[in-house]
Amino acid sequence: MTDVRPGPPMRIPGADAEAAWQILLARIPYARHLGLEVRRHDSGRELHLPYREPLIGNILLPALHGGVLGALVEITARVAAQSADAGGRRPQLLNCDIDYLRSARAQSTFARAEMIRQGRRSGLVRVICRQDDPPVGRVQLLFPGAAGPTRGPR
Amino acid sequence: MVGEGGLPGGDPVAVVRQFGEQVPHSRDLGMQVLAVEDDQVRMRLVPQPWLLDDDDAADLCSSVLYSLADSAAGLAVYAATRTLTPIATLDLRMDYLRPAAGDRAVVALARCLRFTEDVALVHCEIRSEGQTQPVATGTVNFMRNTQGRRFQAADEGDQRA
Repeated sequence: MTDVRPGPPMRIPGADAEAAWQILLARIPYARHLGLEVRRHDSGRELHLPYREPLIGNILLPALHGGVLGALVEITARVAAQSADAGGRRPQLLNCDIDYLRSARAQSTFARAEMIRQGRRSGLVRVICRQDDPPVGRVQLLFPGAAGPTRGPR
Repeated sequence: MVGEGGLPGGDPVAVVRQFGEQVPHSRDLGMQVLAVEDDQVRMRLVPQPWLLDDDDAADLCSSVLYSLADSAAGLAVYAATRTLTPIATLDLRMDYLRPAAGDRAVVALARCLRFTEDVALVHCEIRSEGQTQPVATGTVNFMRNTQGRRFQAADEGDQRA
């Protein structure tokens, strides 16, 4: 299989960051499957994961699956990093490390990203998820072009 | 037969599979429990178009691997402890080693390395089927015996009567 990454730089309308997030999010089939949405908040943008029954991981509590929060965190980090990248390059995730502070209930969940470091070859993003109270996630991303393990053959 | 708090019934594979496949998110993604042996669980997931990473790429979304690792790791705790008391993920770290092809099933092998009354540590490797090199590895810490009801297997009433 050919390595399709990195793709051609995407032109992101700089004037409208919310539209940029929408465009980037709409390209991710799994994000569409989960029903992720871009929302505006006071100082920026966040992703909203509306509650649906297939997101449940613990039917007894009930609580969202840890992997669902993983997806919300990872995809928020990806969209934030790509929209912040001057060339609009699609980042490849190097790793993702999430601390779960409490179980996520069967309700809407929101995630905001903070770019800790934005470099030419790599970036570090911290993502905070919240419902009424926040679980916390932290994601490190590696940008394409770096000589990392993600560039190796399958 | 196991004692109080243990796995109901005599077949841990059947009980862990029943438990694992009742989870709505695991069902939504199409996860299957292939094997339960000692402290290990093997799960498989067949990629679907809606699980991919990008409209222009043919790779599985990393977050799908994340969910698979979390599910397999949780079941590995049950396999190792032979106890279906509630657990909660405290911390999950994934390292993504290479892209996972979207036209090939992925198999997760999760092994519980250590558990106490309070915590459990699980390591998970995910491979594309037929490939020797892993596409991702995960390390998961669980809290054990958290609040909540125990899972009741369908035949538990009979087995425990």
